[in-house]
Amino acid sequence: MIYLDNNATTLMAPEVLDEMMPFLRGDYGNPSSFHTFGSSVMEQIETARQRIASLLGAKPGEIVFNSGGTEGDNNALFSGTSYDSTRPGLVTTAVEHPAVLETARHFERQGKPLEVIGVDHGGNLDLDALRRKTGRTTGLVSVMAANNETGVLMPLPEAAAIAHGAGALFHTDAVQAVGKVPVDLSVLEADMLSLSGHKLHGPKGVGALFVRKGVPFEPLILGGHQEKGARAGTYNVAGIVGLGKAAELAMLHLRNGADRESALLARLEAGILATCPGAEIAGAASPRLPNTSTVLFTTVESEAVLTLLDLQGIYVSSGSACSTGSKDPSYVLSAMAIGAMQANTAIRFSLSRYTTEAEIDRLLEVLPPLVARLRAISPYSR
Amino acid sequence: MWKYSKELMDHFMNPRNAGHMENPDGHSEVGSPQCGDAMTLDIQVDDNDIITDVKFQTFGCAGAIASASALTEMSIGKGLAEARKIRNSEVAAYLGGMPPEKYHCSVMGHDAMTEAIDDFESRRDSVENAFRKVLRKPPAEIAQALVGRTVEPLHFHPVRIKVKVTPDAGGALAELISTEVSAEAGWDVKVILT
Repeated sequence: MIYLDNNATTLMAPEVLDEMMPFLRGDYGNPSSFHTFGSSVMEQIETARQRIASLLGAKPGEIVFNSGGTEGDNNALFSGTSYDSTRPGLVTTAVEHPAVLETARHFERQGKPLEVIGVDHGGNLDLDALRRKTGRTTGLVSVMAANNETGVLMPLPEAAAIAHGAGALFHTDAVQAVGKVPVDLSVLEADMLSLSGHKLHGPKGVGALFVRKGVPFEPLILGGHQEKGARAGTYNVAGIVGLGKAAELAMLHLRNGADRESALLARLEAGILATCPGAEIAGAASPRLPNTSTVLFTTVESEAVLTLLDLQGIYVSSGSACSTGSKDPSYVLSAMAIGAMQANTAIRFSLSRYTTEAEIDRLLEVLPPLVARLRAISPYSR
Repeated sequence: MWKYSKELMDHFMNPRNAGHMENPDGHSEVGSPQCGDAMTLDIQVDDNDIITDVKFQTFGCAGAIASASALTEMSIGKGLAEARKIRNSEVAAYLGGMPPEKYHCSVMGHDAMTEAIDDFESRRDSVENAFRKVLRKPPAEIAQALVGRTVEPLHFHPVRIKVKVTPDAGGALAELISTEVSAEAGWDVKVILT
């Protein structure tokens, strides 16, 4: 198996599982209990909190554990449009993950004003439009750190400055960025940031929301005193411990392994462009994550490619209409003014720190003949 | 991954009759601008209105490619009226079933077949009209050759017409009519005297 769909989810690092195991076996105590059997577990929760804080350049008290990126995004949007009744407005981008975009539209239906800012052909945010649309009624500006489909990095410092200049809060969905590129909240002036465990070789079903000290916060999940009331619900101990370990490993990777990953991506892109005529990279000239490449194969429909690669044990993904059962092309690529036909030729390759050169070379051996075969029967190839 | 049948995967991996014809009797290009799927279909039809060959090209998923491939196999040897009636559900059944979500991918094939046959028939009508026009006002040379002869068209086809001339007038007349009908129709039409 060659797994190149790491923006969907990642292999849980073996070290992460090792740290989690005791809490899935004997140490099942509830950290909120008074007795030693439970309360001693709280130490592990706090260790995890510290590890995440140091990965992000944050303070441990600013980390709120939750169930993952979607919850973090939901809570950030809810809080950012609720803390001040004179500022119910939300400004976000057209290429956000549905966890943000659909939540934003839900709030819009409830009467909270929504502005959606577009991107250019390279996937770069229209900062002028962001500046124009962020105003006195804006409670929150939410801009993703890196796009899940294209890997294009957003101008967070500029976007945060615009938000703060208008007196609004700033949130970033950093689910795809954390662990892949440095995210330093001691420099980046974000008020909230969401991250997810399973995108950085941690467990599924756990994540964290960074809420900067002093920033007003409205919880979404009520019914318990956990996380100082910021997020009720019994601690997902094993998950949180795993997330902490994953954060620690991500720091090591960012220090030592990031160059290797971007070199592999460059090898993949160069190889595809050299062997698949007409192929192009979405957002090629834009700053991007070192692990993500969306290739527009032009004239060859992506789900057909996906199916053929799948038969070879190579797992990638597409934003293709067909593979999701819908008939609409990827809204991210559409926002980049990539037409429906071209958008439906898009395949996303997303690497991880476990990806090897041999795997990339195998892909480059298998892929070109598959694409050529489909091109031969494509009406667009003439 | 969709749960595709063995038959469907076979048609996807080894598409039958993929490609295009240089001079098809009927041609169609259909597609969905919304999802970008597209398909071309070329048909060859004999003088008994039987489809003798089909070629397709498809931009689409495995389901779309397999449906097109199956449709070509199902339509070769069928009459035009019969080919028009091949339903999507029959294509799906021929492929051993299809996931319901993929059903829309097979719709394109039916549209392509309908339009290719429409194209065939409209070209055939043009040829018939061209032929009748030429005979109504024949150029002097043809008029002269037809004196004392009756002309009875037996079969029209987009690129050929079978005509019975009594008494027999020989190949030269066929050539003359061919040239005139071709000029009128806008493409090469061969008149065959029987």
